[in-house]
Amino acid sequence: MNREKIISRTLVIFTVLLLGMVAVPSATSLPTGVAGVKDSGCNCHGAVVSDSVIPTLEGLPETYNYSEIYTLNIAFTGGPADPANINQGGFNLWVSDGTITPSDASVQSWNPNEVSHTDAGNDQTSWTVEWTAPANDRNVQFILHTNSVNGNAGSAEGGTIGDEWNRLSIQISSPVVILEQANPYTVLTTLIVVSFVLLLTVLTFIFYQNNPESFDWEHFAPWVAGWLTTTDHKRVGTLYFLAGFFFLGIGGIMAILIRIQLMVPGNDFLTQDQYNQFFTLHGTTMIFLAAMPLINGAANWMVPLQIGAPDLALPRLNAMSFWLQPVGAVLIFTGVFSGTGADTGWTGYAPYIVSETAHVGTTMWVAGQILLVASSTLTGINFLTTIAVMRAPGMGWMQMPLFTWSILVANLMLFLSIPAFGVGLIQVYLDRVIGTAFYDAASGGDPLLWSHLFWYFGHPEVYVVIVPAFGIISEVIATSARRSVFGYRSMVYAMAGIGVVSFIVYGHHMFTSGMDPTLRFVTMLTTMLVAVPTGIKIFNWLMTMNGGSLVYRTHTLWALGFLVTFTLGGISGMFFPSMAMDLHFHESYFVVAHFHYVLVGGTVFGLFCGVYYWFPKMSGKMLNEKLGVLHFLTAFVTYNGIFWPMHRLGVWGMARRHHTYFISVDEVRGVDGEIITEAVLGALPPEAAGWNMFITVNAILFFFSNFILIANVVISLVRGEKAPADPWGGWSFEWLTDSPPPTPSFGRFENGEWHDLPTLADANEHVAHEPSRLGIWFSKLMVADKEEVEN
Amino acid sequence: MSDHDEHHHPSAWGPHDWTHGAPHNSWSPLIMSMGFGIFLFMLAEAFTNGVFNAGYVPLVFVGLFVSLVGLIIWWRQDMSFDGTYEPMATGAPFKNIQIRKVAIWVFLMSEMMVFTSLFSTYIRYRTGIENCQTVFERGDWMQQGYTLETGEALICFEPASHLIASSMWHIAPGAINTFALIISSFTIVQALRWAKKPFGTIDEEVRRKRVFRYLGSTWILAIIFLILKMTEWFIGFYVPEIEILGIHEHHIHSLYAEGYLINADHYHHHDWVDEATGATMLADISVSASTFYVTTGTHGVHVAGGIIGLTYMTFKAWTGGYTPKNAVSIEYFGLYWHFVDLVWVLVFPFFYLY
Repeated sequence: MNREKIISRTLVIFTVLLLGMVAVPSATSLPTGVAGVKDSGCNCHGAVVSDSVIPTLEGLPETYNYSEIYTLNIAFTGGPADPANINQGGFNLWVSDGTITPSDASVQSWNPNEVSHTDAGNDQTSWTVEWTAPANDRNVQFILHTNSVNGNAGSAEGGTIGDEWNRLSIQISSPVVILEQANPYTVLTTLIVVSFVLLLTVLTFIFYQNNPESFDWEHFAPWVAGWLTTTDHKRVGTLYFLAGFFFLGIGGIMAILIRIQLMVPGNDFLTQDQYNQFFTLHGTTMIFLAAMPLINGAANWMVPLQIGAPDLALPRLNAMSFWLQPVGAVLIFTGVFSGTGADTGWTGYAPYIVSETAHVGTTMWVAGQILLVASSTLTGINFLTTIAVMRAPGMGWMQMPLFTWSILVANLMLFLSIPAFGVGLIQVYLDRVIGTAFYDAASGGDPLLWSHLFWYFGHPEVYVVIVPAFGIISEVIATSARRSVFGYRSMVYAMAGIGVVSFIVYGHHMFTSGMDPTLRFVTMLTTMLVAVPTGIKIFNWLMTMNGGSLVYRTHTLWALGFLVTFTLGGISGMFFPSMAMDLHFHESYFVVAHFHYVLVGGTVFGLFCGVYYWFPKMSGKMLNEKLGVLHFLTAFVTYNGIFWPMHRLGVWGMARRHHTYFISVDEVRGVDGEIITEAVLGALPPEAAGWNMFITVNAILFFFSNFILIANVVISLVRGEKAPADPWGGWSFEWLTDSPPPTPSFGRFENGEWHDLPTLADANEHVAHEPSRLGIWFSKLMVADKEEVEN
Repeated sequence: MSDHDEHHHPSAWGPHDWTHGAPHNSWSPLIMSMGFGIFLFMLAEAFTNGVFNAGYVPLVFVGLFVSLVGLIIWWRQDMSFDGTYEPMATGAPFKNIQIRKVAIWVFLMSEMMVFTSLFSTYIRYRTGIENCQTVFERGDWMQQGYTLETGEALICFEPASHLIASSMWHIAPGAINTFALIISSFTIVQALRWAKKPFGTIDEEVRRKRVFRYLGSTWILAIIFLILKMTEWFIGFYVPEIEILGIHEHHIHSLYAEGYLINADHYHHHDWVDEATGATMLADISVSASTFYVTTGTHGVHVAGGIIGLTYMTFKAWTGGYTPKNAVSIEYFGLYWHFVDLVWVLVFPFFYLY
């Protein structure tokens, strides 16, 4: 075995260990909380359980009656407790449902479901509490810890020497025996682990497929090491795609859990606390860990190919950008499985985010976001430099493909806005860690400063995720319509215009924060201005199809679907800059409907479109068109089924970020049939329940419809038809190279210089001599304007 | 990997053959990222809401150590760098400019935004919260009970300059630092100048010595900057009696000793004793202290990052690593260093003088 192999093997093991170390905080995660009193036994005196202490809990029925109050007697015998001692013992009682209230001064309440003794109750061996049974059907668990104390509290040893403790666990059931309810944390953990194992299995299978003879560790370690250490833009792009789709799935799982919770009014599948964490992580995962990596995947793959560059300007820095993301992801997820994950919303509004009541996981969420900010900054440096300096000879700014333009504009926006977010995050991190006072309102800190720093980044960020989709759609519609895009220059100016305007609109996120009406008015105008360049783009796409002859491929369908859904999202977006409308729609499901229309119907549909369009180029294998069309049809229909009714719910006043809602009927009943009287105020019309059920069903269908894409990809990789260099008749540079492209993608490097890089003329030649099927159609069918030919 | 790849990718952790230009595999990004992750995690465990937990400090260092391992792998790959691979821009408008120089300028753009955000925070709080001195002079704090006796603290803005600019001695470290940074910007340019002199015009040994000495002086000046900063923040210094100059023996307290703490809840300054009644104004200045320490600290971290880079460069210069072929990489660092210098020129008046 040579030295190189030993080194790769050692480093793979080292990497696994480090990854484990990084992941440990996320994994120390009993579903019910590893550090909870009921598991570890509160301030139990002495290290081990003592059998001589016998706790008892009397007064519990076999099955309880709804809402009845039971008097419970807690007692213990045995151990060093003796009436002659100053102190005799203590206890802690935790119950899974219902509420416990102390009946005298010897007992104190920590939580509605947790009590323990007071100082006054220290010299007793029995205590009395009252337990109010839940109003619905539950399997209720009681966990009791008792300390038997020898009363040396004042001694130098600290008072707990020689004390003993024991634990008692009792389960009682409701009048109607019910099945054990699923624990959402267990569901989430299981699904994530299953997804991860599936991912690893598929990767191993792909390795096996590559070369079945060499399926051993000897070859596997260098193969894995090759991927872990790669700096090739195409391989890093693939890593981005893998990570992006993995987290798209995780975010989807959380969306489904949220939808299950909202399926019926008054549901309690998720508690408020769990719901807060799930929607926080759903937002964070989808924006930062799914959308951004998927965009970066497409950009990594296509930008160097489209501008005729051998690689990105700084390949090693590019790998760094990627690897910061999974590490950041691990930090972001820290604590969620043990119930202490970030619960601040993806906006992380101050002052809650710096308060001690925010979950411990919030600190790690902030730390993970700091790493993602670093990643985005490095990505920005890389892409701005690459696009500015590495275009093929002859390719001016105005000859760049529109996807490259979109990445340039998106990265410029991201790059100039994300430092503000980064600084805000560092301030929050320091507030939470060493105790600075940037957002501590009690010391004069201004919570709105966070909103400013966040939205100064946050609003450009939403354009950062949509503009690359514009680029993809421009490429796809032009190729599918078999003509150049209508109004190339206006497309470029429109994107650049969005880029500029994005920085002066963020105030519309803060209309309800007591902003100066004059500023509100200005922000209202600038926000409405965004519709102008966006409208120009929509009409240019329509005109492109009008002047061309459309070929219906899967990617064409996705592009057409994008036009519909994104336009709808754009129109619903026009309600928010209007101050009066915003005050009504603020914090309602109308907002949720709007941003999902633009983020799913815009960004995700655009990215799916890009995947179908470029997959043959990236893998060298064709995707199955029939499966592709099936994916589009199911996803498009169910997607609209999810988000269209949300507009209505929002108008009715259903509030976002709330873990449940109520409907107004004469008798409001929750999921278990219990009457919820306090719910009438602010309740929704009865139809809301039906629509929510409809949304949930569609959400589950939409989730599973995306498995068609995964199946399509796997089938194609295993036995797909081999892809030609230019299957669709596209004419930008990426279609010039083989499918998949070699490394380096273009040219060769000799004597410190690049040779044989393509020039813009090559792309024009390429169109004229396109050998593939569509290329032939292209040359026959395209009716080019005279000017265009001359250009 | 095929034999072809093996040839071009000699090792993912050792020195690279930079002459062929293709992407090189590297362990550095993965290891460095994990190091940063461990560091941020453990730092948050070591301090939680201002409560210190010493048990995690070794793990904070584990995080730093892992990052350092990544950084050393990165450098090790660069050590073979002989200047033959300095990619040039192909597209307008940067044609024939080094790609990495453009990248550094782009990077500085984001740095500009970092400090802009910090200054925004400063301006928000400086203009939005009343100055402690103003409140004290108005005197109404006594009626409102913000005194040491009542324990009630008044929220006000106490600029660090109120302490620092209070005496010539107190401001001395900051003033010396300003000149140290400006001189270091000069020495880095001298290093570049000597490294760039064409072959044959000077003796190579002279070149090696000059570049090494100028980079070394830059390194020393940067170290002086940080030492003086620590003195000003945490240590303080002693001023002896020099009668000829009319200097009296006294001790300059560090900001820390004066109670100007990053996480201070309450603070009272010796100046704020009402002479008529003897009452002492109690002020909550944590926002001002946070702003001061984090802004100047961010600048300090940039200097420290520069020192890490300079350490590598000085070592490389000592081995004779800089020739006209790759002198431009001194320029890349120089651009960053000038930026750090310029930021200080803004930080100094805002936080030390005004």
